[in-house]
Amino acid sequence: MEAGSIPQQAEQTAEETGSADLVVGILAELDSEATLRMCSALRELPGPLRIAILQTGQRESPAPSDSKTTTECASVFFVPSLLANPDGSKGTMTSSETYQSFFAAAEKLEARGSCIIGSKLEGELPERAWQLVRPLSDDSADLVLPRYTSRKFEGLLNAGIIAPMMRALYGKRINNPMGPDVGVSRPLLQRMLAKRAGNAGGTSLHPLASLAPAALCDSLRIVEVHLGARVYRPTDWTTMSSVLADVLSPVFSDVERNASCWQRARVSAPVRALGEPASLGQDTGAVDTGRLIESFQLGNRELQEIWSPVLPPSSLFELRKLALLPQDQFHMPDELWVKIVYDFALAHRLRTISRDHLLRSMTPLYLGWVASYAHDLQTFGALSSERRLERLSLAYEAGKSYLLSRWRWPDRFNP
Amino acid sequence: MWQQVRQALIDSTARFLTRFANLLPGLAALVIALFLSVISAWILAAVLRRALSSLHFDERLERWGFAGLAEWSPMNSPTRLVSRSIAALVIVSGFLIGVSAFDFQWTSLFVQNVFAYIPAVIAALVVLLLGNVIARFLARSVLIGAVNLNLQYARFLSIGVKWIVIVLSLAMALEHLRIAPGIVELAFGILFGGIVLTLSLAVGLSSKELISKTLERDVKKAPSESVEDPLRHL
Repeated sequence: MEAGSIPQQAEQTAEETGSADLVVGILAELDSEATLRMCSALRELPGPLRIAILQTGQRESPAPSDSKTTTECASVFFVPSLLANPDGSKGTMTSSETYQSFFAAAEKLEARGSCIIGSKLEGELPERAWQLVRPLSDDSADLVLPRYTSRKFEGLLNAGIIAPMMRALYGKRINNPMGPDVGVSRPLLQRMLAKRAGNAGGTSLHPLASLAPAALCDSLRIVEVHLGARVYRPTDWTTMSSVLADVLSPVFSDVERNASCWQRARVSAPVRALGEPASLGQDTGAVDTGRLIESFQLGNRELQEIWSPVLPPSSLFELRKLALLPQDQFHMPDELWVKIVYDFALAHRLRTISRDHLLRSMTPLYLGWVASYAHDLQTFGALSSERRLERLSLAYEAGKSYLLSRWRWPDRFNP
Repeated sequence: MWQQVRQALIDSTARFLTRFANLLPGLAALVIALFLSVISAWILAAVLRRALSSLHFDERLERWGFAGLAEWSPMNSPTRLVSRSIAALVIVSGFLIGVSAFDFQWTSLFVQNVFAYIPAVIAALVVLLLGNVIARFLARSVLIGAVNLNLQYARFLSIGVKWIVIVLSLAMALEHLRIAPGIVELAFGILFGGIVLTLSLAVGLSSKELISKTLERDVKKAPSESVEDPLRHL
């Protein structure tokens, strides 16, 4: 992220606006009513705060609030056209560019805290922004992350790879390290800017994916906030591999960048959580594991030449055995899945093959894990998804020594 | 009469010896040029072998997908193949420079033509090498993409794409070398068209059943029976 990465017109708007105490970015599709309810909730924050609201697109802002600051409560006002492409073009921004633009705008407005509403929730929670911003306004946290109440087959990419890997590596049990709802304090924002400036020649920092690792490595204060159930987008199977590559690339880049930090962490500790978890109705969804297993078997048959420079012979052998199992006995051990993820992270660092090819070739393996996870839940009915995922997280922690050995001696340690 | 025969023989011998004597400087220059080029080739090959060994050239080549090159190389070592090829090139260049020292028009023309052909050879080699690299990259991209789309003929598609690119680069290299351009053009057209037609038929025929099953399923399925997939990855 760069402080100067907003176009000139937006810079003028920022200068005219002056400064704000808190900045709230609305990236999710919220209707005017939900936005107004959110503004009302924000006005309940104590103290004479100036809160700026930034929205993406050319949506008409709801009726502006009274912009005079009062002594009893915060004043909330909208700042139009501050979220724009860094190069000034009018095309649609990617999510990374949007977050980058938001953080640059927050820095320009000299806000001491900023939060982003990046997702839609079931049963919209008007206090969502308030909950994300409050720990920042009373200076009790540097990074506020969401904790969603998920059904057993929701957020699997996060549950199967990102969250448990971050827990094992950095030693903090964060449920959603990549938000998308997030609250960031000014000190953390400035550290990210400094890292970005110092990393000019290397891989660029992803504005969202790098937040949690940066906060963890600098021992900043992190809290989680219960936000209820999130609305997830339906799976588009044709773009599955692109999604995997786009999400895992910045995660693995951060693992490489922060190697000196995560190699020190030994055990994981929980993170302070605010609010109460929401309850969901009975979760009765069933998954067609046949299609997932077929994808895994096809990948195992055709992608051996791509996997063999990445995975050790023992893992390849286990995968071949797994592909021969009948569907009702399909089970990928957690230890095998953990080794696969760690080996791919290492291969990403070593650039054994093109990084894009590497991450896309991981898709059949990921679908195989999903099939195994779904099969475990459907077979052992009493096993809740939370216990199953906790077992997986413990396997990631136990497998960290394997990653350490391979990371330090990639040529010599190859079981 | 015998006097005349003897005189003719003496004259022709003298002419032969004069011509031979005229060749001697050129011959000496050729021998020296060859000797110097052999020494240079030996030194260059030794330096190159050491440099490539320190870069682990053989292992890197295998990782980049050129494992087949090792089978063609002396002692299964591409490093030796490269160093010996460079050495042979230096010796041939020395020989050509030595040949040009002879004061004959045809030798000068011959050497000029050979040196004028070298850029075309280098360009052809570069085209072949790039074509190979691009073919492997594209083949891998197609393979991964097709596997992720659950296409059972992913391997077949990947090989087809690889051979299309290799055939194209081979035809371009032969055109650079100006070897039978008419025949190469025709052969390339037939081969390329054949590969594309084969791929189209294979994909079309194998998809026929899949498409008809999909259409049948869509027609029979009632809207109320559609089951939502509960999987949400992100």
